[in-house]
Amino acid sequence: MKSALSGPSIGRASPVRFLRSIAIILVSVALSAIASPAFAQDTASGDHVRVRWLAPDTFAAGETTTIGFYFEVDPEWHVYWRNAGDSGAAPRFDTRSERATLGPIQWPFPVRLPIEHLTNLGYAGDVAYLFEVTPVADAGRVDLRADLEWLVCKIDCIPGFGSMTLDRPVAEYAQWDERDLALRERFLDRVPANAALSPWRAERLAELPAGGLQLTLRDTRGGEARPPAVFPLDGGLLAARAPQVEADGNRVHYRFDRVPGAPLPEATGFVVADGKRAWQFNRVPVGAPVPAAPPQALWLLVLAAFAGGVILNLMPCVFPVLSIKLFGLVNAGAGAPHRLREGLLYSAGVMVTFAALGALLLALRAGGAAIGWGFQLQSPTVVLGLILLFWLMALSFSGVLEFGHRLMDLAGSTRGGSFATGVLAVFVAAPCTGPFMGAALGAASVLPAVSAMAIFLGLGAGLAAPFLLLCASPALLKRLPGPGPWMDTLRQFLAFPLYLTVIWLLWVLGRLMGDSGWLIGSLLLVAVVFALWLGRRFTLFGPGTGRFAGYAIFAVATIVAFAALRAPQHATPELAGSEWQPYDRAAIEAARADNRPVFIDYTAAWCITCQVNKKLVLESETVMELFRTNDVLLVRADWTNHDPEITAALGELGRNSVPVYAWYTPGASEPELLPQILQERMITALFNNGGSLTQTKENDTP
Amino acid sequence: MNGKRIGGKTFGKALLSMFLAAPALALAVAVPGEKAPDFSEVDASGAKHSLADYKGEWLVIEWFNKDCPYVRKHYGSGNMQALQKKYTSEDIKWLTVISSARGKQGYLEPAAALEVAENHNLNASAPFVLDSDGSMGRAYGAKTTPHMFIINPEGEVVYAGAIDDNDSANPAVIPQSKNFVAAALDASMKGEGIEVASSRAYGCSVKY
Repeated sequence: MKSALSGPSIGRASPVRFLRSIAIILVSVALSAIASPAFAQDTASGDHVRVRWLAPDTFAAGETTTIGFYFEVDPEWHVYWRNAGDSGAAPRFDTRSERATLGPIQWPFPVRLPIEHLTNLGYAGDVAYLFEVTPVADAGRVDLRADLEWLVCKIDCIPGFGSMTLDRPVAEYAQWDERDLALRERFLDRVPANAALSPWRAERLAELPAGGLQLTLRDTRGGEARPPAVFPLDGGLLAARAPQVEADGNRVHYRFDRVPGAPLPEATGFVVADGKRAWQFNRVPVGAPVPAAPPQALWLLVLAAFAGGVILNLMPCVFPVLSIKLFGLVNAGAGAPHRLREGLLYSAGVMVTFAALGALLLALRAGGAAIGWGFQLQSPTVVLGLILLFWLMALSFSGVLEFGHRLMDLAGSTRGGSFATGVLAVFVAAPCTGPFMGAALGAASVLPAVSAMAIFLGLGAGLAAPFLLLCASPALLKRLPGPGPWMDTLRQFLAFPLYLTVIWLLWVLGRLMGDSGWLIGSLLLVAVVFALWLGRRFTLFGPGTGRFAGYAIFAVATIVAFAALRAPQHATPELAGSEWQPYDRAAIEAARADNRPVFIDYTAAWCITCQVNKKLVLESETVMELFRTNDVLLVRADWTNHDPEITAALGELGRNSVPVYAWYTPGASEPELLPQILQERMITALFNNGGSLTQTKENDTP
Repeated sequence: MNGKRIGGKTFGKALLSMFLAAPALALAVAVPGEKAPDFSEVDASGAKHSLADYKGEWLVIEWFNKDCPYVRKHYGSGNMQALQKKYTSEDIKWLTVISSARGKQGYLEPAAALEVAENHNLNASAPFVLDSDGSMGRAYGAKTTPHMFIINPEGEVVYAGAIDDNDSANPAVIPQSKNFVAAALDASMKGEGIEVASSRAYGCSVKY
């Protein structure tokens, strides 16, 4: 061909004419492919997909027959539902007929297909997309022409295109191949029926505080039916990821994530599937938003915060301040109205400070900064800083070191008004408020702003209440024990919990950094004590020299210790007992493919709940025996260090903190998540109950 | 989430859980109407890009994977390059990001990325931004290629989602499709409000 085009020796066949004749041939071939049934195909195929008709040999005159496109898909490859989910695409059918009227595509209900960080809605295996065909009056034959486009994915996706035609006679009866009829029945059963036929009623659809939507279904049978799977019709509104499911008597709440920024419509649709049948709820109106939090739960949290605030008064760094202030007021011989005014001023100081702290944290949160108490413990620097702080506090409580007393005296004796005392009380109390502030911080990072602020104010109200009460009531004031040696005893006693905290933090540091973590931490502690001793003991070369040396050693030790942390050290987390495997996605996928049950413990050394669950439940003899007899693959996903893969895996489960316990029943496509506070019976229930506590299995596609 | 209850909700438990709870973190993703997540990445030519660099400018961010059929739909047809050319000539900045991890489909070393930028006629404001650790992609919640984001001069996300309303892989549908990105940019340049600020991003999954 090339020589024909370029060789002048073949003179007459001019290149232009040659090209034109080729073009004419190509066009006529293309035209005949469209126009002539001789080129028609009754199947289509592409990579990993074969499509054929699911149709009768003859159509019945004047009757409606449901036929379909039958997709045979290679194992592990998927085609999609009408809402394909986070990625992928639904197949497209452009079907035309001159001698029949055609109905819209009917989509069998899908399953959730987790693909890496995404969730798709599609079919695990073969599927038939169905539609109705009614021959027009007096039609002797039915002819159909369909242009198809589909997408087939495993992880990578391959689009496919094809054209199919169908030409069948019309007779008295529809005549089916038995196997094809059975196949069509199987998929027709899975096409969602009208919502009116469903035992479930869509009772409510409401916006959640975080922006998602909560769908509430009610079981009209009133039985103990398993919650069905629910699939949103609108992928532009709701994320495909499995909703959080909460059973509540004969009601089930489904909490869906909203696609970021999607506007709230008046109504949206869902398909509800119980594993065998499905029902379509086309327009569920969006009602009033769900209140910020269940009121009772918030009320309890605020009450707990208040109680925590009251306890803060007994903290050794707060109590002396308040006592000094209180006795100052009494000794000044102030009248009851004056004392009440002082009490109110003090309360205002406390509340304003707490409100300011709360606002600061909410502002940080709004700015996109991720606030989390536990998360910070992934940084060795922060952990070492906390070790140092708690060590100094413990030494101070033991009386080795006078630390912060000057600040306390200032707060106690200030003439600058009780308001300032209130402000100072919060700051002086700060070292003691660690656990309380941690919880409040935690709440602030998950609750909506109003509720988070309520918790902060609850803490403040609790801190302010006793002082205010004493100011208001002289009778109570008289009953107060005077400051005395008992306060020192209390303070010294409170040093011991702090020493224990230091040990725990050292252990966390050890988990983060390996053996060197222990070593660096402990050496720093000894260096601090040595510096203190040096500062007090030696005044040989004049007053202050020892103290100077002490300061110097303290500073050098601290700098060296923190610098040592920066040296790249990474300890592989050791796994006690070989039965627990480290997190390995491939191994988990392989086990699930083999129909082996999988239990994943998402944990971290700094997570106390995780450690409690591990010791009391997961590693108890009964539970380990159960795991062993059922050949469960045990995986410990250790999040002590920041691990992007585990973070991603948690994200797929809709979580971003530990503990999370994920249980995969053999063959299940979705894990079941166990409660954060584990009990042994929850594990045993997994094996008595056919492997599942609540959620309907979604994987029983034919 | 599990439906089973663990005993009654008591005051004690609430107090206990306040101490034990490991607080969850809010997942930061790019949400229309909110501040855009920060990023700091290096492009194929070695230049650094961060959100702060684009303060005061309109910025389009596009996720790319050379082997994805949907990316090929928009590059093979010249649609994406035409958009890049049109809007970068209007002083809008455009970054095309590859978040494929090393060893995953679509991952490119800087030299190879420069070559692909050349033979794809990439008209973005910089050669491909290489986010092989996925940090930028995850911060933005980039799910698919092509996933598109538009950030206004105040640093707020004004659009997140698909490039257009047709999730077919067939380039022939492009002329009939409604291009959300072009519509949002055109409306913004005229000082009008954006009609569609969010859509389901279609395409291939980002290969983190």
